[in-house]
Amino acid sequence: MNPFWSMSTGSVRKRSDTEEKTLSGDLRTSPLRASAKKQLPSIPKNAVPITKPASPATSSQSTNGTHASYGPFYLEYSLLAEFTLVVKQKLPGVYVQPSYRSALMWFGVIFIRHGLYQDGVFKFTVYIPDNYPDGDCPRLVFDLPVFHPLVDPLSGELDVKRAFAKWRRNHNHIWQVLMYARRVFYKIDTTSPLNPEAAVLYEKDVQLFKSKVVDSVKLCSSHLFDQPKIEDPYAIIFSPWNPAIHDEAREKMLTQKKKPEDQHCKSMHVSGLSWVKPGSVQPFSKEEKTMPT
Amino acid sequence: MERMSWLSKLTPRAGGQRAPRSASLQPPVTADPETCLMVFKNHWAQVLRILERRGSKPAPDDLSAVRNNTYQMLNLLAEDRPCGDGDKDRSQGDGDMACGPILEFVAAENLLERLLCWHLQGDFTEERKVEQLKLYEMLISQARQPLLRHKPVLTPLLRLLSVCAEPASAPLENSLVLLLNQLCVSVAREPAILELFFHSHTDQGPANLIIFSLLIPFIHHEGARGQQARDALLLIMAMSASNRAVAQSITDNSYFCPVLATGLSALYSSLPRKIEVRGDDWHFLRREDWIGVSSLVLFMNSLEFCNAVIQVAHPLVQKQLVDYVHNGFLVPVMGPALHKTSVEEMIASTAYLDLFLRSVSETALLKTFLRFVLLHRHDNMTILDTLVGRINSNSRLCMVSLSLFRTLLSLNCEDVMLQLVLRYLLPCSHVMLSQKRAVRDLDIYGKTAAKFLSLIPRCCRPESPPLPRDREEEPPSRARGHGSPGGDAPAAPKPSTPSRLSFFMRQASAGPAEAAVPRSPGPPAGSPSRPGPRDEVAELDRNYLEYLRDARHSIDRCAWACRVWSAPYDGEDPRAPDPDGPPGRPPGPPTPRTKKRGLPEEGAREAPGGPLGGDEPGAGGPGPEPRDGGTLVNGAHGAAEPGRPEGDVVVKKVRRSPQGEGEGGRGARNGAPRAQPPGWEPLPSVDSLLEELLARVPAEPPGAGVSIETFTEELREIEAEMQNGGVGGAPAASTEPPEPPLSHEEEEAFASFATLPEGDAGTGRAPPRPPDPLAQVVASPPRAVGPPPSQPFTGPFVSVLFGKLENMPHNSLYVNFLLTGLVAQLACYPQPLLRSFLLNTNMVFQPSVKSLLQVLGSVKNKIESFAASQEDFPALLFKAKKYLIARGRLDWAEGPGAVPALRRTDTLARSRKPSLGELLLRHANSPTRARHAAQLALQGLRDGGLHPLGPPARHGEALRVRNAVYCAVIFSEFLKELAAIAQAHAVTSPFLTE
Repeated sequence: MNPFWSMSTGSVRKRSDTEEKTLSGDLRTSPLRASAKKQLPSIPKNAVPITKPASPATSSQSTNGTHASYGPFYLEYSLLAEFTLVVKQKLPGVYVQPSYRSALMWFGVIFIRHGLYQDGVFKFTVYIPDNYPDGDCPRLVFDLPVFHPLVDPLSGELDVKRAFAKWRRNHNHIWQVLMYARRVFYKIDTTSPLNPEAAVLYEKDVQLFKSKVVDSVKLCSSHLFDQPKIEDPYAIIFSPWNPAIHDEAREKMLTQKKKPEDQHCKSMHVSGLSWVKPGSVQPFSKEEKTMPT
Repeated sequence: MERMSWLSKLTPRAGGQRAPRSASLQPPVTADPETCLMVFKNHWAQVLRILERRGSKPAPDDLSAVRNNTYQMLNLLAEDRPCGDGDKDRSQGDGDMACGPILEFVAAENLLERLLCWHLQGDFTEERKVEQLKLYEMLISQARQPLLRHKPVLTPLLRLLSVCAEPASAPLENSLVLLLNQLCVSVAREPAILELFFHSHTDQGPANLIIFSLLIPFIHHEGARGQQARDALLLIMAMSASNRAVAQSITDNSYFCPVLATGLSALYSSLPRKIEVRGDDWHFLRREDWIGVSSLVLFMNSLEFCNAVIQVAHPLVQKQLVDYVHNGFLVPVMGPALHKTSVEEMIASTAYLDLFLRSVSETALLKTFLRFVLLHRHDNMTILDTLVGRINSNSRLCMVSLSLFRTLLSLNCEDVMLQLVLRYLLPCSHVMLSQKRAVRDLDIYGKTAAKFLSLIPRCCRPESPPLPRDREEEPPSRARGHGSPGGDAPAAPKPSTPSRLSFFMRQASAGPAEAAVPRSPGPPAGSPSRPGPRDEVAELDRNYLEYLRDARHSIDRCAWACRVWSAPYDGEDPRAPDPDGPPGRPPGPPTPRTKKRGLPEEGAREAPGGPLGGDEPGAGGPGPEPRDGGTLVNGAHGAAEPGRPEGDVVVKKVRRSPQGEGEGGRGARNGAPRAQPPGWEPLPSVDSLLEELLARVPAEPPGAGVSIETFTEELREIEAEMQNGGVGGAPAASTEPPEPPLSHEEEEAFASFATLPEGDAGTGRAPPRPPDPLAQVVASPPRAVGPPPSQPFTGPFVSVLFGKLENMPHNSLYVNFLLTGLVAQLACYPQPLLRSFLLNTNMVFQPSVKSLLQVLGSVKNKIESFAASQEDFPALLFKAKKYLIARGRLDWAEGPGAVPALRRTDTLARSRKPSLGELLLRHANSPTRARHAAQLALQGLRDGGLHPLGPPARHGEALRVRNAVYCAVIFSEFLKELAAIAQAHAVTSPFLTE
């Protein structure tokens, strides 16, 4: 029915790692994609759209003659393309999902697997300026202010600007911001910090810094099951392991992993043809299979 | 699995036919075996008395007595069951298993053999043969124990069959085929019997051959008999899959493959030469078009059978059959047929080829068809190039050719795309050197889409500016997310994505279940009132979302299908084949220096210094002397290829005459480096093919030879026809009268919905039709048309398409439907080389290479200047839209059934849609209602707009205006479609291509 959907599920699966099993089916990464198909994603637990738009008759946006009326589609698609690029990057332990309400707001979570911040699970939100891609760089704000030299201890905002002083279209992409966000937990930079305390501690008293980090990681983990900070159908929600729901989902993920091919074939009955030998540009250059005896 | 379904399909039928007969016979005696045996012996004694009365001719009474007793006996034999302990001492090799008492008696007495001998001695009339065949058929189908493994049963059976080998009356043939079918069913149930067949020789050779040689003549028969024969053969074929010996004997000792394949030739020859066309928009054969044409049905049955055989048979058989289809049908028959000189015949053969390509589902068979299309050279030109050239011709042939290419493109076949487009783009000589890297760039900000949309002619944009209602109705909740993350209170709502709201509203109203159903973007679902015509037309202006959705779907499909390709075609992989050639050289016509590197065409080209290498403009033709200095190389329009050397035509014509030698010459040249994969024995003509066949027949008794001879004869006829058809004659062009610009039907159809005001039409000047007489096309095929060697050339296909596109305002509505559909289809391919060529508007091309954007720009200008010259253009435009919507709806109502119901319906259903078509029928939620509405609308148009045909010139002018107005509508929609495709490329899921 919706081949695309199953595929994007596969994408998440591909990257998932045992430590993320706690993630429920909420971690579907393609509402944008789904929206391109004009469908709601299939399994947004707790994510039933609350406000169904009342009157669909408002689609009057493009009765005007200029192609300017298509502008919204450009923004929409640019962000969708950005999202596709994120998926292509396969950043380890980083998941994002655009919000239901605006393509300019993405929910995300980072799993830190090594180093000082090991076992950290940090939820965050990415805010993309509405004049994207011509505006400033996107902002990335952690739900809880992680104890980190580059994270504002009050707002939880990560200092993205230092890496992307000027946002350059065609050069800068949102996946770079996410990659940067992941990197700061592995390579700690203390110059001109947003959290001077953390910076100083890291320089002067690593032990104390470490213990503060551990506290911070614990704090984040203890709030993992909190309601999402921003109410949105596509917000990322964690819940305790519930066999009734999650066992089946996990099972599905694991079994699908084995034969993604078959699965796709079922949903898309098309296969192209090729008799070109790799490296050749001659049609029908592939040798025929040897005759079975 | 397929095979299973074939078998299960067959078996019940065999059973079903058995039932009535056994009812008509006496009910089998249910008694203990001993009694049965006694009764049996009793009958036999009576028969024996007659049999032993030697010398005298049997009296009629004797005959009926034997007949009655035999009936009883065979019934008893059929009911005979194997007993518990067998007689292990029997010396006959096949008697390992216990057999029933009656069977044992039959064997001991050699009873069946003696009976048959008695029949053969006398006057064995057809009637009596039929009787015997029926008896055996009953015996085999109803036996409770395996009978065929016993020589005393098998030998007389085979003998009987060999007696029936000669052609005979229908009843005899029916019984014969039925018996053979039954035999095959039994063999399929118990494959071990097959081994026996190999070892039991009759006076006609091995027994398995007899089954074959008897069945083969019926392969192409129509009706039940042919079907039974085909089913029976298919059973054997299925068995061959797991039994190499069987496969070997089919390929080495039977004529199955050649007869099947060359039979296609015979059947093809009886197809209509001219397709009676109903509608002005007809452009391909749908199932309902051909299901009523018996010769076509016959052909399709056989083609389908070929397909089925290839599906189930052993690779040996598969390969042989495929080779024979190529050498015995495609090359000798289809090739010349496609090159007939009359337009009608060209249309027919092109439509047939399209139908065949759509019908064949087995890759091996499809491969051979494609191989033929791509590589086979007829008249020194590949079929592909001939077909490409035909796009340039007058409207019906153009439409049929466009449909064929639609089919080809829908295969997502690398080899096809390579030959059509990619190989010309591979060297990247069409882009500036500095741009090579940009080939892979994705346009993620929608710049390309914006450019395409900006080309919508001003006159086609809706006049009234919209009410900025979006923002007013924005629910407050929407803005929440955008607030400053630091503070609780959301900042002032930002107009971040203005379309978002409506976007989601549509989304909400269209659940997943509805996704497949075409929806109107406008009126809410369930709204009882249909929008008025004004609204409907207005809706065309806001259907962009639909285009985005379709584009997304098409690209996903295409990208997914192209996973099997050998390379990504991203400018790096694969490399152009000829890196050290002069920069900017296309891979097309090689210079003598580069020849050895091999062109992807059937050997012929590669022979260094082939006898007439002059067909390559770069090599032997006179120096480049552009014909049409103003036009760019790949933006050629009209039949005349600009940039082609003038002298090439001459070379071409010269080459045409010595065709006879061409065939032979090719065979010789086939020894060149990469000529043909092993196994493709070049068989130049059907004649020699069949002669070779016949030579292999070792002193064949008439029975087996008959079928072949018939076919030889038929094929000779075809050959003769082909000869007369002007293959070797003078250049087709000179003899071909120019086609009338439009077919009568088309004229009529246009007239019927004419909505043009008379006043404007009366200028009296002839329509400025582009010169597209077919003759020129035939004479100057784009294949031979090379660019001057140093000029980048994006290939004949692109060149022809662009030329045709540039001419859009003059094309008929239907040509434009198909044409834009084809270009859109091409644009959906995800390969960066192709995508960047068509859709990357930032790319800087070599000055001589025209871009799609340029072509479209020139169309835009033409439309705008036309609109400026036409006072009532807005009114005309409105009417045209109204008509197109009504028409589209009608189409849609017929839609699902109208799709060719062959195997690849799925693909085709999608590709069938001409770009605009589907969007024009979004409203058709209820087929009947839609049809009704459409009919009303059409009626209205007819009544309101009917105007008597004016004098020809005036009519021509009206036609010109109509074409231009329709073009304006389609062009605008096409631009939206392209824009949507460009946008959708940027968001293709990486999982589709990985």
